Amino acid sequence: MAPESAPARARIRSEVNLAARFLVPLWPIETFIAVNPLGGLEDRPFAQALALAGELLGARGTLPESEFRALHARGRITEQDLLGALARRGLAGVAEERLALGERALTGAQLLLYDLLHGAPAPAPARANLMSSERRAAHVADAVDAQSAKWCAAFLDAGQARWRMPGREQGFYAAWRRLAWRDRTLPGAVRRALRELPQSPEDALLGALASLEVPREGVREQLQAHLARMPGWASHVRWRGEHVGDFDLASYLAMRLSYEAQLLAHSDAVAHGERDVPEACSPAAGGGGAGGQEPSSYERALHIAGGLGLAGETRVAQLVGAAALLEQLPVRERAVVWLEAYEGHYRDELVAQLQRPARPARSARPAAQLVCCIDARSEGLRRHLEGLGEYDTLGFAGFFAVAIRYRDLAGGAPSALCPVLLSPGNEISESPRAGAEREAARALAGRAALAGAEEGFHVAKDDMLAPFALAEASGWLAAPLAAGRTLAPGRFGSLRAALSRRAVPAAPTVLSVREGFSFQERALFGEVALTMMGLTGGFAPLVVLCGHGASTENNPYEAALDCGACGGNRGAPNARVAAAILNGPDVRDHLRTKGIEIPHDTWFLAAEHDTATDTVELLDAELVPEARRGALAALGEDLREAGARLSAERCAILPGAPAPSSSAQASRHVHARSSDWSQVFPEWGLAGNAAFIVGPRAITEGLDLGRRAFLHSYDATVDHDGAALETILTAPLVVAQWINCQYYFSSVEPAVLGAGTKTIHNVVGAIGVLAGHNGDLQLGLPWQSLADGERLVHEPMRLLALVQAPLARIDELIARNTILQRLFGNGWVALAARERSEEPWLRHTDHGWQPWLTTPEGTQ
Amino acid sequence: MNHDGLSRMTKIEVVVTGADAPAVRELFASAGATGFTSLSGVSGLGHHGFHQGRLLFNDQAALELLITVVGEEKVDTLLAGLRPLLAESSGVMFVSDTYVSRPEYFA
Repeated sequence: MAPESAPARARIRSEVNLAARFLVPLWPIETFIAVNPLGGLEDRPFAQALALAGELLGARGTLPESEFRALHARGRITEQDLLGALARRGLAGVAEERLALGERALTGAQLLLYDLLHGAPAPAPARANLMSSERRAAHVADAVDAQSAKWCAAFLDAGQARWRMPGREQGFYAAWRRLAWRDRTLPGAVRRALRELPQSPEDALLGALASLEVPREGVREQLQAHLARMPGWASHVRWRGEHVGDFDLASYLAMRLSYEAQLLAHSDAVAHGERDVPEACSPAAGGGGAGGQEPSSYERALHIAGGLGLAGETRVAQLVGAAALLEQLPVRERAVVWLEAYEGHYRDELVAQLQRPARPARSARPAAQLVCCIDARSEGLRRHLEGLGEYDTLGFAGFFAVAIRYRDLAGGAPSALCPVLLSPGNEISESPRAGAEREAARALAGRAALAGAEEGFHVAKDDMLAPFALAEASGWLAAPLAAGRTLAPGRFGSLRAALSRRAVPAAPTVLSVREGFSFQERALFGEVALTMMGLTGGFAPLVVLCGHGASTENNPYEAALDCGACGGNRGAPNARVAAAILNGPDVRDHLRTKGIEIPHDTWFLAAEHDTATDTVELLDAELVPEARRGALAALGEDLREAGARLSAERCAILPGAPAPSSSAQASRHVHARSSDWSQVFPEWGLAGNAAFIVGPRAITEGLDLGRRAFLHSYDATVDHDGAALETILTAPLVVAQWINCQYYFSSVEPAVLGAGTKTIHNVVGAIGVLAGHNGDLQLGLPWQSLADGERLVHEPMRLLALVQAPLARIDELIARNTILQRLFGNGWVALAARERSEEPWLRHTDHGWQPWLTTPEGTQ
Repeated sequence: MNHDGLSRMTKIEVVVTGADAPAVRELFASAGATGFTSLSGVSGLGHHGFHQGRLLFNDQAALELLITVVGEEKVDTLLAGLRPLLAESSGVMFVSDTYVSRPEYFA
């Protein structure tokens, strides 16, 4: 095969990038980052994006209509909700029309409601854009998938496999090309062709496209068909290409299309003109099996007449009239109306809750202020703590505005502790505090010993012969340990924690804040962070910056429970850095020049909320000045009680949790649960998330928001140029929307956009999980993060952002930020706002700000 | 060729969103560009209205300016890759002559 010209290679590389735009990068599972799996389609209106996702991926974009109808039957969606949704789609006039079927007079609303409730369901989506082999020989398409999954897993293995793929240092394509032709499971002719593949992946890709006789105008479609066939691997390879660089989508597609071209060329079935494509999967059958015909408007009208027992007496002209009315709501858009009604029900209730006077300003200085992550799980902790004393709480992105690359006491590879929207700009390392070097050395030695023992155990277990000796040597201990972990996880967890404390004693450490940040950076951080959260005065004696993480066992998705704003890591280091900066006298001097006066007796303290156990660990407490120790002790007690109350609240919805007789019992249960290696529901994470509220805590304090709302503190009166609000809307809101969409699509389409059930998951290469032993890398969240059995616990709704700020300021920010135009304008996030708490909430629409309609007839 | 002892080369400047920047960087590398300069958070007024500059906590949504300098023999390759990409993006590209003192750095 002659090498292609350099411009031709560049063009095909561009074509690959354009074809892959519908995919978003899939991060390795160790730092699981929630993303919108349809983020590549956010430049389109939501409904259009769902339609395209159906064609490309065969993915469903909403709950099925049958599920919505069941929710209606249970009262979760009412007819008023449906009428409201129809009105917001501009169908209020249609709903008021009058018509008749037979002798029965009907309104348009009745007709549309009947169709929504009883109409023949819309056909399930099916992939319409198919690979050449899917159209010609399904077994070849399957073989291409199997080979792709095999080689991706081999190349991306992070040390679990006993056999490492040779030549990996040369990059994927070179390593694969060196080995692929040796595969004796392939026909000889295919092996010979693979041996002759060109050195460049672009040349191989162009050669395969030519061999498959793909016309120039069909190249994009073919590339997308291959990417969409296994979106998990393709999405991860996209991440790999952008972040590591040794495996990109051009190489991935070169592999896939080379297999396809050669297997099709040398397939006996294809050579003899036979087709082994099942009827249901052939394009003629509707493009993918699930399809089927959408009923026409006339058929829908006929169906309604029949359902009402009027079929015999309804004239054709009446049916035509009804069909014309139904035409206003195409079948394929009915599910989105249901979704809007489903969302409307929740949102109307939330807006009604928030339509009340803000809590009056506190006259006395609060005992402490607790700044938590905006994560919806913080809402419960904040609510319970506020109920226990004179505490103020605030919400802020859990990386506390310090984007750091962090290396802990043990050294090793640093972690990026910041949202993935950012590149960490500052290096921070942990080291022993002066005078604590010996304790630190003991802690490090203990940690190394434990890690070595674990590594040795696993190596011995995986070896050919060592397992026999291992069983002899340690079986007497391993069996009781396994029994203990299974039968009494709580006691086992306590025992293990005690052993761990003995082996790895706590060592006081410091972080290299002054080395990692210049004075200018620290000063800017202080000003930005405090202004963004609206905390520029009224400081309490103790201000606690509380990050979060989750302690779970045997859970590949552990990072999904940690802090998203910290890149899927625990948030304690960021909180420690932020507190150290804000305690710095030089930073406080600078802040004073900016009008932010932090009293001399105010101390910033870091903490970490464990969302699996509801405990809050106060960090660097030994540095707290003596005068604040009493307040610190009282705060610690109240945090313990708040956590226990939160545990009791969570036990009510955790599968298998007992009805605790006391908050202490609930606390014991969640601790046991967190250390139970067989527990598939360690906590519910962010299940239920549905709203993002930006404003002073006074507008939400005292309300039980059910841990469903991201809460970002904001005070428009101290944000003079709108810069803080712009940052909130373009970063924390974006991260919240990614989380929301990850939960949404994992719930409505678990097979394609989620991760299916945990019970058959196999971790592959520390990069993700497979459902079973092969196939595609799973894209989203496991079913057990969303549902209990068949029952969804997460309610899949798009995010509603409620912002208390001047409307003109919000309009201005939207006008100059494309990302906000996409999110709000294309319906990925709904937006409501008001300038002051005594004003009504207004809905952001294409026609400007409109009153938040709670019913089709009236306004709030 | 010489301009006060400098060597003439071609400068290609591309402005795209941070999300599209990896694709441009990948094209630079695959076309044999030996390096590039990038400037994130650029702002300006264009065909699609005003684009906000630096966003404090979001590098991906802001615009990024990527600059590379190559010899004449690589220009067609780079343009062949960049033009289709930019035809479907809101980005812009500028191609101009430039002069460098150490051409071997860019060869």
